[in-house]
Amino acid sequence: MTPTISVRGLTRRYRGHLALDDVTVDIEGATITGLLGRNGAGKTTFLRILAAQEFPSSGEVRVLGATPIENDAVLRRMVFVREDQTYPDIRVGHVLRAASWFYPNWSAEVADTLLGAFDLPACRAVKKLSRGMRSAVGIVVGLAARAEVTLFDEPYAGLDAVARQTFYDHLLADYAEHPRTILLSTHLIDEVADLLERVVMIDRGRIALDADADTVRGTATAVSGAAAAVESFAAGRLTWNRRTLGSHTSILIGSPLTESDRVWARTLHLTLTPLSLQQVVVHSTTGASTGTSTGAGAAGERTKRSPA
Amino acid sequence: MNTAIRSTDSTDSTGFVSSARPAGPLGTLVAVARYLLLDRVAYCFAPWSALLFAFAVDIAIIGLLPTDHSENHWVGGLSAIYVATFVIGLQSVTKGLAFGLTLGLSRRTYYQGTAFLAVGFAVVTGTVLTALRALESATGGWGLSMRMFQVPYILAGPWYEAWLTSAVALTLLYVYGGWWGLVHRRWGLLGLIAFAAGQTTAVLAATVAATWTHTWSDVGHFFTTLSAIGLTGLLAALTIVLAAGGFTTLRRVTI
Repeated sequence: MTPTISVRGLTRRYRGHLALDDVTVDIEGATITGLLGRNGAGKTTFLRILAAQEFPSSGEVRVLGATPIENDAVLRRMVFVREDQTYPDIRVGHVLRAASWFYPNWSAEVADTLLGAFDLPACRAVKKLSRGMRSAVGIVVGLAARAEVTLFDEPYAGLDAVARQTFYDHLLADYAEHPRTILLSTHLIDEVADLLERVVMIDRGRIALDADADTVRGTATAVSGAAAAVESFAAGRLTWNRRTLGSHTSILIGSPLTESDRVWARTLHLTLTPLSLQQVVVHSTTGASTGTSTGAGAAGERTKRSPA
Repeated sequence: MNTAIRSTDSTDSTGFVSSARPAGPLGTLVAVARYLLLDRVAYCFAPWSALLFAFAVDIAIIGLLPTDHSENHWVGGLSAIYVATFVIGLQSVTKGLAFGLTLGLSRRTYYQGTAFLAVGFAVVTGTVLTALRALESATGGWGLSMRMFQVPYILAGPWYEAWLTSAVALTLLYVYGGWWGLVHRRWGLLGLIAFAAGQTTAVLAATVAATWTHTWSDVGHFFTTLSAIGLTGLLAALTIVLAAGGFTTLRRVTI
């Protein structure tokens, strides 16, 4: 099966800066993928190249089986909502009207519902809107377009928590009804964690993590208990962080635990707490930035196995 | 994979009509033109308000002249609409391009749609200017012997010649403005400076070449014998060159 999005050896070099470095990733079929990473990691550049708004320095990008560059047949099946989306001097209703002329699967019903949900005034000029309301306009376009490939780049800048939840709810509801390939770049990982089926993390222009969200969630565990028992348990494993308070120690283990590991932990009276998606991403990225050794798509350090 | 339902024309509760994408390449070009025309201030209000203001200024100046208005008074107020057209062409890129590409258009389709609108806008505007020219003639220059729409030599011939020349010149200004906007979008302020310097250098080079080859008399002869229609043909050829330049610039524009 041809991947919906296929990227091979994608590199984007700017003067004195490598925004994307040999990125290779495939995204297949209907799925919601979280594109995660720190500021300046290369997420926006990656999405702009997918949408043919930017050009790669080298590498190959194929969307829906073909290059998106100057390819109307592909582009009309994609929608890309940018954080910094600009509009001409037109009103909110005009934006939606224009979008309805170009997207073959445009849903006026979804647009109308979201307009009400975000309390957007259709007759107001876009340039008169607040930052958050302008973001909401982009979200309405992105969802109502029902494009086969939907790219959201930090679409909710300035949106309050209630409006963000509205976005998540409608995204999930419409996705369930009309499954499509959705790529959502975000910083608010915990907020979207339940939406994501897959996670692609970019760190300094490179793919740092590419896995199913459920797999990532089970990747890391906080192990706490008596210092000696914790150290014994963590010996030889990939660890990200350790904190000791008196005789009590807590260590973040960055590799999956087996069932026998859990039995052993119970025997040692250790507490195991799975890390959230955001914690996994934060720790793996922080580890990478400090240049420690990497393993299983995440960075950390491997503790020395102490004598039993 | 996608089971989405195609929307049909409908009106949402806000009164804005949504409709499915027009089919075919021409339909897409019409849709691009309609998208740009949503900025009604730029396309419907700005050119005519600029022209009206220029007209009022010219009327005031001619009215204040201490003459009996028996001789023609040539004024340059018509240039206002050409300047406005240049600015609209500029804005088709500086304001319209980013969301245009977000709407799933290729650069080529966006440019074709913009050129389509440029011609349509120029034809309609040229028609109105030709009508105003006839009105000016019929009213004896607005009762003041003022000649704003009857530009000597260029717009002095039969109505169809004046209409064609107006339409071609307006298209040229729109396309030229668009190229300036594209240069700014692609290369920023330094690009604009280089663009202006390049054109100045080209004109200077042509001037120097005419001087060195002692062909100024030929140049003068060419322009004095060139008919208004011949000039229109020249402007049309120049418009095509400018459009090709604009499209070449657009091909690698990023947003």
